[in-house]
Amino acid sequence: MDAILKIENVSKSYTGHKALDDVSLEVPRGAVYGLLGPNGAGKTTLIRVITRITMAEKGRVLLDGKPLTAEDVYHIGYMPEERGLYKKMRVGEQAMFFARLKGLDKQEAERRLRHWFDRLSIADWWNRKVEDLSKGMAQKVQFISTVVHEPKLLIFDEPFSGFDPINANLLKEEILGLRERGATVIFSTHNMASVEEICDHITLINKSRNILSGSVAEIRRTAGGNNFEVLHRATDEEFAAAIASHAIILGESRGVVGGYRETRIAIPKDEDVRLVIAALNDKCQLRALREVMPSMNDIFIRAVNGTL
Amino acid sequence: MRNIYLIISREYLERVRKKSFIIVTLLMPLFMIAIMVAPSLMMLYGTSDQKQVVVVDHSAMVAERLMATPEVTFIIEEGISKDEACSIYNEESGIFGVLYIGRDIEARDSVQLITNSSSSMVLEESIASQIEAIVEREKLHAYDIDNLEEILAEVETNIELSTYINDGTGDEESMESTSSGMSYILGLILGMLLYMVIILYGQMVLTSVVEEKASRVIDVMVTSCTPFELMMGKILGIAAVALTQIAIWAALIIAASKMLVPALFSPELAATNDMMMNTVMGTLGDTGYIALLFTYVTLFMLGGFLLYASLYAASGSAVDSVQDGQQFNTIIMLPIILSIIVMMSVFNDPNSPIAFWSSMIPFTSPIVMIARIPFGIATWEIIVSLVVLYATFVITTWLAAKIFRVGIFMHGKRPSWGELWQWLKMK
Repeated sequence: MDAILKIENVSKSYTGHKALDDVSLEVPRGAVYGLLGPNGAGKTTLIRVITRITMAEKGRVLLDGKPLTAEDVYHIGYMPEERGLYKKMRVGEQAMFFARLKGLDKQEAERRLRHWFDRLSIADWWNRKVEDLSKGMAQKVQFISTVVHEPKLLIFDEPFSGFDPINANLLKEEILGLRERGATVIFSTHNMASVEEICDHITLINKSRNILSGSVAEIRRTAGGNNFEVLHRATDEEFAAAIASHAIILGESRGVVGGYRETRIAIPKDEDVRLVIAALNDKCQLRALREVMPSMNDIFIRAVNGTL
Repeated sequence: MRNIYLIISREYLERVRKKSFIIVTLLMPLFMIAIMVAPSLMMLYGTSDQKQVVVVDHSAMVAERLMATPEVTFIIEEGISKDEACSIYNEESGIFGVLYIGRDIEARDSVQLITNSSSSMVLEESIASQIEAIVEREKLHAYDIDNLEEILAEVETNIELSTYINDGTGDEESMESTSSGMSYILGLILGMLLYMVIILYGQMVLTSVVEEKASRVIDVMVTSCTPFELMMGKILGIAAVALTQIAIWAALIIAASKMLVPALFSPELAATNDMMMNTVMGTLGDTGYIALLFTYVTLFMLGGFLLYASLYAASGSAVDSVQDGQQFNTIIMLPIILSIIVMMSVFNDPNSPIAFWSSMIPFTSPIVMIARIPFGIATWEIIVSLVVLYATFVITTWLAAKIFRVGIFMHGKRPSWGELWQWLKMK
């Protein structure tokens, strides 16, 4: 795997508290990578290690195979969860200030910012005071400040928190657009819906340790893989008799449109699915049998509770 | 370096463009001129009406010779007692009070001023000194000397003490003339100026860091620059604001005093204070001295500000609100207040051991040394003091950066001293 970022055995502790305990992970180039975990698990600390805000006590962080240097911050764009702007500045000035801190010269910074301001339709706000901005507008300005220097690695800490659905969608489109143009994106979030929607890889951090890493599809397959939904016309008793010892019925069945019932079953790994289908097909007017993938939300909760 | 420059210019422009900055910058000189002019104006308009005092003189020595002054005129009442005078000239009479002089003027409690309203120090001084002069003159007369008045007029002497710094030649043309009065005023003004600058702008650094932390801009900033760059940018940006403001004040005050001073100081006043005036004019006319003094002021002001600003920045980073910063603020203020106390003793003896040592210790040196410099201090002392000051600034900034780096990400409870110590040791 071509990894843009490698974290090797990183540990970090604050006064009397271990924030990261021997964490390793690899972020594939061009991926949208989800960094998941409950509050206080160590996500933000890990991001701060990657962005060189704090130094790890043990372990290494490699960007493109080389240990991180101070210069690398120009290749990283970071939008923290807690984001602020200088209230007394003008919007354009503020964006220029951040862009120039990222190493752009004045002309280049202005050219790119004007482009982004047009794109996110906030061009009229260039000369207004930051304190007059609505929350959504301010978030757009922050987003622009994060990406204006076209970094190859983008890190968003809870990017959708506080965004209205329209802006959240706009932001999602822009982030995926940046990936199209070659950037790698790391998300830190506990919004599982957004993870399923856009992340292709994840790492789950709990209690300062990496407890689950891999591609989303694979994780869902391994975590689930034996739960099915059956659509049929049999009564509960008929259904139970038909399925006999082939599978376990999970919970109550429920009626759905067209006189069909839906029942959830778990088919043990060593059981042949075709036998189950055959048995059901015979006695229950089987209409459909589909695999149920566990939601990332389930996986998250099960992983954190240690029941995965 | 580029980042520090960007942060400096942001901090600088944000403050200099504020309306409050422009207003304070323009109003402050007016306020200072008002303070300078106020004493003269008070002399002109401050005294209330001339007061009338009834004199009951049982010694028969004083009453006749009391002279009316701008403050007071005397009405002599003969043949009544003190009690009678007090009952007649009570509050309704419009008389200020009764001056009673007993038979034996030098006896205890023999001279009394009984007033209907509150008295003033100027008035009491004026009456007491008149009576003293009258009694002294009376005693001299008792010796029965011929031509006493002529002799007294002849012996009256006024000495002007010219002071110089010995340069080994004894030639007053080449020796530097000094005046402790002038040095005192200059030292006091400069010392207070530094005190103001350090406190005012130092606390501005604290506020600025706390605001940055509270608005969460800091989280965005630290990915683009190091905490050290941010801290230095803030400190230097505010230093630039301070220098700008003081430069504008200096220009305004000089311009204003060029126009106002001749109008305020009448030629007669200039003539009476000849020696003092000459020294002042001589000092102000000596551009070399002024330039040197200005250099020292700038160096000590900058050094003192930077030293304290780094402490203010560290404490700002450790707290969530300006109120929480008060505990640290109080501790930072201690040596500054101590400097002012020592400065006052410096004026009695600018070369005392306490003056010397506290102008070497970096936390008191800016204010104490700048107050000593007008008295003429050996150049090596000034240089050593400056070197120590700037070296300490480097150390405190290094320590402050360590606290700053951790503190800016800490929210919630104010850290204990133990925690601060932990932060300092953190890698």
